[in-house]
Amino acid sequence: MRSNYTANGSVHLRILSQDQCELLYSAATRILERTGVIYHDNEALDIMKKAGCWVDGKRVRIPSKLVDRALLTAPRRVTLHDSRTGLPVMDLEGNNAYFGTGSDTPFFINPYTGQREKSSKKSVGWACKVIDALPNIEFVMSLGIVQDVPQAIYDRHQFEAQVLNTSKPIVTTAVDVAGFSDIIEMCECIAGGEEELRRHPFMTLYAEPISPLQHATEAATKLLLAAHKGLPVVYTPCIMAGGTVPSTLAGAMATGLAESLSGLVLNQQAREGSPFIMGGVFTVMDMSSTIFSYGAPEFNLMMSALADMAHFFKLPMFGTAGCTDSKIMDGQAAMEAAISIVLSAFSGANLIHDVGYIEYGSTASLELLVISDEIIGMARRMARGIEVNDETLALDVIDEVGPGGHFLSHDHTFKWFKKETFFPELFDRRRYDAWKESGGTNLTKRANTKVKEILEGHEPAPLPANVRQRISEIVARAEGSLGI
Amino acid sequence: MSNFESLSKAVIAGNVGQAAEITKNALDLGARPMDILNLGLLPGMAVVGDRFKKGDMFVPEVLMAARVMQSCMEILKPMLVDEEVPSAGTVVIGTVKGDLHDIGKNLVAMMLESAGFRVVNLGVDVPPEKFASAIREHKPHILGMSALLTTTMLRMKDTIELLEEEGLRDKVKVIVGGAPVTRDFSEEIRADGYAPDAASAAELAKQIVGFSVSS
Ligand code: B12
Repeated sequence: MRSNYTANGSVHLRILSQDQCELLYSAATRILERTGVIYHDNEALDIMKKAGCWVDGKRVRIPSKLVDRALLTAPRRVTLHDSRTGLPVMDLEGNNAYFGTGSDTPFFINPYTGQREKSSKKSVGWACKVIDALPNIEFVMSLGIVQDVPQAIYDRHQFEAQVLNTSKPIVTTAVDVAGFSDIIEMCECIAGGEEELRRHPFMTLYAEPISPLQHATEAATKLLLAAHKGLPVVYTPCIMAGGTVPSTLAGAMATGLAESLSGLVLNQQAREGSPFIMGGVFTVMDMSSTIFSYGAPEFNLMMSALADMAHFFKLPMFGTAGCTDSKIMDGQAAMEAAISIVLSAFSGANLIHDVGYIEYGSTASLELLVISDEIIGMARRMARGIEVNDETLALDVIDEVGPGGHFLSHDHTFKWFKKETFFPELFDRRRYDAWKESGGTNLTKRANTKVKEILEGHEPAPLPANVRQRISEIVARAEGSLGI
Repeated sequence: MSNFESLSKAVIAGNVGQAAEITKNALDLGARPMDILNLGLLPGMAVVGDRFKKGDMFVPEVLMAARVMQSCMEILKPMLVDEEVPSAGTVVIGTVKGDLHDIGKNLVAMMLESAGFRVVNLGVDVPPEKFASAIREHKPHILGMSALLTTTMLRMKDTIELLEEEGLRDKVKVIVGGAPVTRDFSEEIRADGYAPDAASAAELAKQIVGFSVSS
């Protein structure tokens, strides 16, 4: 019996205090009341007006009570399922951290040639197969944009390439609302109906506001479609401190939050209780190269702080990690990916995307993906922290072994070592001779070998033939509508 | 003499107030406007350009220096004859239809302005017809198109084809850029130039019109 004892069940990381969260929330709602946001979509404008906003043309000022309300009506948890079994695999809430890839890169590094090539239906299929095989990657974004099909309907092909090659949940982009409707139809076929998909979603829609402070027709209609269908939607501002938002991180965050919250209000006004996942890629513009940085320390700080905000709001959070500004799989890539993965795991964002992005989000690397899978394993071990109790303190064992003994063959070691330690596969811990004899490879080379092994050896769980057939019919129908 | 040097320094430091004051004082003391421009402002801008290339200065500092330069030019302009006002030419720029990415394009526009161009910024989601009519209206030397999406970069090709049809193609040089755009693509669609970032876009534009500030 012991009183007033506190234990850390895991590692703790907070960037913002409770008071700082309050202040940022207040700032975001003051932006919405004073400066307002633009909605380019007429239906959205009508909804916001009916809700009690001050509408001036397309400019909408939102009273803060509407934001407070939306935060109460949005569900705290979104559960995503396996597309083959319909069983829950991710509870997006609290500090549960799951990792996945990013979407739509124009280029990918071909693992067989090492060349930077245009991404294609084949490259997206490859990426999803690798994701399907990796134990620490739980969800999918396409990791490439399909460019070898008619571009007006590439999204249907892209979704097909994804869902055929993995049973893991999918966060999907789309060209437009018609594209989303087709993709939802494919998902309904797989789930076994509209109602089934709504109850056991294995996909979420994805949309982005336009910084600063605008919701394009495209984005607004996706938020409304998600609400009408009762499907989850990720809404994710991509803000660039110094470019589209202030260069001070607090001002940048307040603006990004105002964008998220004004998207949330629209989504909840269309249908209260609709599942909404707050997201963001909050970073800086590099003022020398002018890139949108995926590796800056300020990016990591803001992403962790955003997780604090999501917890404060009790909203599921879409994070960003496992990505780099480096153009190739090198030391910089591994280092930037590792820092963002560790911090995201520690700060407890829920749906953490962009694993495998190199070249500031322009290119996909399957080598970075498999290396990140291992980094995530390490991060998870660290996040679990140190368990301190009678059993793990092992005082009896220490006494039994005594000074000068060893623990190698003790029952206690046998029982615990696997639970306590992480075992790397790609990170090399062999002794020099063993490493040299097996080819003296570096990390990138070993990662490349693993990628090829998966591509040649892994078989994702298949979809039933009739479902595959329906999906290809929907793709063909979209092509037909183009007159092809 | 030392006045010109301190004017250059004020340009480099991005100090609008100080630069305007030095410019006015120099005029009061009888300095020739052309000397203020050629010995004070432009050498300052040249240093800024060099330092930016070396990574010793950053975008907001370059833009602030350009603002200093412009505000001093406002003071000098009434005293210069037209030929003396350095102007590189006119550029019409916009993000193509279906594409809403604008910060990169805006940055290119600002860098072009800093390099002495007059820029007509058509915004985002610009259809080929609007580019064509802007060319008729503003008679630019250069048309710049930005696309960040593989799906929208094909609109650059459509625009170039429309310009050909309407007999406007040989009246402008077309330059293109944005994340998925490559040099190969720009050649494929018969554009006249491609640049990977705003600073090289300004270099490219100067090259195209044969304009050099330091001359
Ligand atoms: C920020 C961003 C956004 C912001 C833009 C905000 C804004 N106000 O502009 C928002 C969130 C709105 C956005 C939306 C979308 N985006 Co976006 N976005 C980006 C991101 C992360 C950075 C782009 C950026 O601003 N960079 C910083 C600026 C300064 O650089 P820049 O634009 O490259 O411009 C420089 C050069 O390219 C060059 N340049 C640019 N234009 C020109 C023109 C000329 C004439 C010349 C010479 C040079 C030149 O000079 C500029 C300055 O140095 C890129 C990732 C990437 N790798 O680029 C994705 C990216 C471009 N987006 C992408 C996607 C998929 C989208 C969406 C479709 C997502 C969705 N499903 O909702 C929407 C599309 C909306 C639309 N219809 O346009 C994909 C593109 C995929 C594709 N199809 O090719 C990318 C590559 C990300 C990815 N991997 O998925 N995006």
